[in-house]
Amino acid sequence: MPLHEVGYRGWTGRLLSPWAAVGVIAVTGLRLAWKSRWLRRALLLAWSPAIFFAASFFAFEQAVDEGRLTSLTERAARGGNLDGVGILGTVLADTLGRAAAGAEHATEAERLVATRKLVWTRLLLAFMRAPQAVLLAVVIGLVAPTLISSDLRAKAWLIYFTRPVGCTEYILGKVAVLGAIVAVITVLPAVALWLAGVLVSPSIVVAAQTWDLPLRAIAASVVLAVPTVLLALAYSSLTAESRIASFAWFATWAACWIAHSALTTADLVAATNDTGAAVAGDEEPPAPPPRRGHWIARAAGLDGALDRWAWISPYHAVGAVQAWIFGIEHRPRAVLPPAAALLAIAVVSATVLAWRVAAPARV
Amino acid sequence: MIPAAPVDVVDALPVRADGVVKRYGRRTVLDRVACSVPPGITGLVGPNGAGKSTLVRSILGLVRLAAGSVHVFGVDAAREPRAVRRLVGVVPEDECTVPGLAGVEMVRYAARLSGLPGTEALRRAHEVLDWCDAGQERYRAVETLSVGMRQKVAFAAAIVHDPPLVILDEPTNGLDPLERQAMLGRLTTLARDHGKTVLVSTHVLPDVQAICDRVIVMAAGRVRLEGTIAELTRPAVPQLELRAIGPLDACAAILARRGIEATQRDATTLLIAARSADVVPMIWQAARESGVAVRALAPVRRGFEEVFLEAIAEAADAAA
Repeated sequence: MPLHEVGYRGWTGRLLSPWAAVGVIAVTGLRLAWKSRWLRRALLLAWSPAIFFAASFFAFEQAVDEGRLTSLTERAARGGNLDGVGILGTVLADTLGRAAAGAEHATEAERLVATRKLVWTRLLLAFMRAPQAVLLAVVIGLVAPTLISSDLRAKAWLIYFTRPVGCTEYILGKVAVLGAIVAVITVLPAVALWLAGVLVSPSIVVAAQTWDLPLRAIAASVVLAVPTVLLALAYSSLTAESRIASFAWFATWAACWIAHSALTTADLVAATNDTGAAVAGDEEPPAPPPRRGHWIARAAGLDGALDRWAWISPYHAVGAVQAWIFGIEHRPRAVLPPAAALLAIAVVSATVLAWRVAAPARV
Repeated sequence: MIPAAPVDVVDALPVRADGVVKRYGRRTVLDRVACSVPPGITGLVGPNGAGKSTLVRSILGLVRLAAGSVHVFGVDAAREPRAVRRLVGVVPEDECTVPGLAGVEMVRYAARLSGLPGTEALRRAHEVLDWCDAGQERYRAVETLSVGMRQKVAFAAAIVHDPPLVILDEPTNGLDPLERQAMLGRLTTLARDHGKTVLVSTHVLPDVQAICDRVIVMAAGRVRLEGTIAELTRPAVPQLELRAIGPLDACAAILARRGIEATQRDATTLLIAARSADVVPMIWQAARESGVAVRALAPVRRGFEEVFLEAIAEAADAAA
């Protein structure tokens, strides 16, 4: 018996509100998830793309600072790439090329503000759509499957539901675990990128000119997080084997991606045949070949083609809605079907999740 | 902020079940169950499938009842399950853990889920683990602990928020004799020295006899017996057992002539109906007259196991 053992003593403090359990479940879930070496590596990896994007911000602002923006824009308008920032030079060149072809501005200063905002927006959108969305899918696949399935396997639901914790607090706690991870992978690097852009820009006034971009980044993260987190938790709640939930998660992403690629390719083939027929009839000139790094340009919303199959793949659906949030995409036909698909995923997943979590107390 | 145990509920009866009916499909698991759990230690015993676990779940408001109600310290468990669970600590029979947490983290987690503030939860977790004699094992992951240690952690997690009602489902399962004694001692301490109400659901009748003030015997979804062990083991007609050497048949005949019913059980034992205290001097007189040498005269008590088995058999007959 320990020397400090004082026997049983009562406790007369005051209890916190049941809603405090949400934070307790979230913090404990994060602590347990953080024990995974793979998660730590994945989170480290998730921040590495930000370095390359930060270099692009720097290259752009350096050009502005050195008065090379006009020459760069003219060069981009002629179809040339920008050197020194790797594959992101494509995004910059295409953006500057379009900015040059865009609306006329009254003054040089106005033109600079508009160009800067367009460049930053496209860089942030490309950052969130291309590397972060994919990394997020991987990280959620590592963390989410164990969150509920391990509770089912260890019968841990008794720990929660024999205490003043309801299904809502339990689900919110689990969602908060993934929400925090989503924030670390998408929101924080995006805001850090914006801050980096402000720091490397010639004036602090740039922060006021681009104040809406961090908010748009947060909104884009929410669009990414809500359906994906709910879907992952719904899978986790359906089985006591986290491996099965993990497999279902990755299989969903892969299968939907493949389906989207197949359907888009079929459309492209059909369009090429149509174009061939049109050329034979001398009706329209052929489209110019895409620049190198077409995929990142597409993530930045530079590919103006309508992706009518985006709703079939969560990745592409999220991208389309994010493009709308960043003000890049305005066509209802491009945004509404993906938004409806994401909403449907979120609603169905939330229903399954609530039904499964409440099952032990519903008998 | 919520008081740990509201003052107005502490004076009410810890548990009162009235006409509780619970059905799973067409099977009735609880059939008009009416019972009460007063302060002290109450044993809930019955064979597998008797409805004990369902009754415990209904106390926690975890099942939807077809009829009836369960009140815990005057709070309706079906209407205010959260308020009830604030007043109850539960040690489930099923091993339930959060893999990856150490023993002390597990108890702290339970405390936090029950609403204790952060630092206080950790302090309290160590305090109850000390009382449970958990030692340094508390720093090991729960999934690597021995059965006995896991039981200590589960018990500590149940009482960490100092609930006025503690419910334990098979608390001595898998414990060695020393640990079992220690666990029963802790339950007795909680009830006797700290005024807790303890409800122990178990199959182990010696445990019930050792610590319980009252017993509820369930079978086939009904309460078959309820009362103190002394009440339950007392025969329907009070009897005295006379152990003696000599002509017991003659003694029985003398008693019969005086209107006292006596039955010879074996060569040295006579069972005598004792409807009043006046019978005792008459027995001594009859023994003297018949020439038997009295070795002992004591009230007849049935074993609790015998009473329990009779109740189960009656339930089985009724079901048939």
